Amino acid sequence: MKQNLKVLICDDSILIRKKLRSVLEKCKLEEIFEAENGVIAVEQAKEHNPDLIFMDIVMPDKDGIEALKDIKSFNPEAKIVMASSAGTSDHLKEALANGAYDFIQKPISLESVTLLIEKILKEESANV
Amino acid sequence: MFSQYFGHYLLNRGLITREQLADALEFQKTVHVKFGVIAVDEGFMTTAQVEEVHEKQRQMDKRFGEIAVELGYLTEAQVEALISHQKQSHLYLAQALVDREYMTIDEFGAALNDYKKENSLSDEQFEAIRNGNIDTLVEQLLVSDEEKAAKYGKYLSLFAKNMIRFIDDQVYLEVSESNNVVPGNWLIKQDIIGGAPLFTGLSTNDETLLYVASIYAEEELTEIDALAKDAVSEFLNLHNGIYLVNMSNWGTELNMNPQQIVENATVAGELFQVNVITSKGTFQLVLSDNPTSIEIGSAAGTQAV
Repeated sequence: MKQNLKVLICDDSILIRKKLRSVLEKCKLEEIFEAENGVIAVEQAKEHNPDLIFMDIVMPDKDGIEALKDIKSFNPEAKIVMASSAGTSDHLKEALANGAYDFIQKPISLESVTLLIEKILKEESANV
Repeated sequence: MFSQYFGHYLLNRGLITREQLADALEFQKTVHVKFGVIAVDEGFMTTAQVEEVHEKQRQMDKRFGEIAVELGYLTEAQVEALISHQKQSHLYLAQALVDREYMTIDEFGAALNDYKKENSLSDEQFEAIRNGNIDTLVEQLLVSDEEKAAKYGKYLSLFAKNMIRFIDDQVYLEVSESNNVVPGNWLIKQDIIGGAPLFTGLSTNDETLLYVASIYAEEELTEIDALAKDAVSEFLNLHNGIYLVNMSNWGTELNMNPQQIVENATVAGELFQVNVITSKGTFQLVLSDNPTSIEIGSAAGTQAV
């Protein structure tokens, strides 16, 4: 099974980036990139072409929904998981309408991220 | 959370000292609650009846519940209820105060009755509050002003729940009468925007910031660095996000701006302030349903986080 998923974490919180990275490392993922706002996320997505992106919604400079739209325009295959405490019905609708892969409600649990990674790895191996 | 409220009532009435309250709140986490204390606390028995059962217990090898049923003071169903309550021993301030000999069970029972009367609590409300219903507690004890309750009640209820859930299960909130924000070293703020806008902020000193940050980050933080500020800021963001979800479920769609941190901030405007008293220090929750009235000044500038 493919284990070398490239992951981009986009969140303006240092704490969330740190915690998410530690969970991903526990899932044996090694190629992890970070971005602290939507503008940097778009740049990183162009440069590294990640398989999976965790995207916060409320961020300075460019919010997560805008970054989602931008990244989808040049990489429609990217699996972008919105991770926000503000999982309102408006946000959910907008994210899904713009091609988000999934939505994780913060606080992010180890279980939810592990399950998600397992699901994506299964999909990847099925597509090989 | 009721323990904190009733504890402060006992403190304000001069029935116990601040040190005794702190000690009892700490002690109640580990204490084994006696059956008789819960029976009085629940209103099933009088203190005289409990004393009578204790007296009989000294003479015969029987459980408290058995004797109380024999004497007709408790029904079997009440004994069952008391056993289940006994398992939630951490809820009982009464036992802690009595065990530490800060109060007698009689004094505690009397104070509990006075408290209920003074706060005009119905039996139902009182039960709900004692059983940990934060919504009722906020509505009945924290924000008695109806206009303020309508504006801030839902937000405060959720804030109390999130403080208990993520930071400190011993937290105690009190509405500040003062219209001035006690100058803290740090103001962490976030604007909620949309149909029901709200300015939200936490004003804290270094020590309390580090306490809240360490718990939320799940690691010991000793310096006010980027991670420590971020942790408190992320707690506010998480709480506000959950508030947005609740409001969305109630039919009001809101949004929020990224949080900001201001050092040595002065805050003026139409404010509603709540002192948030944790086990390790106090900070202020500052709210305004008229965010345009808020003026923030600072000598050190604003940082986006």
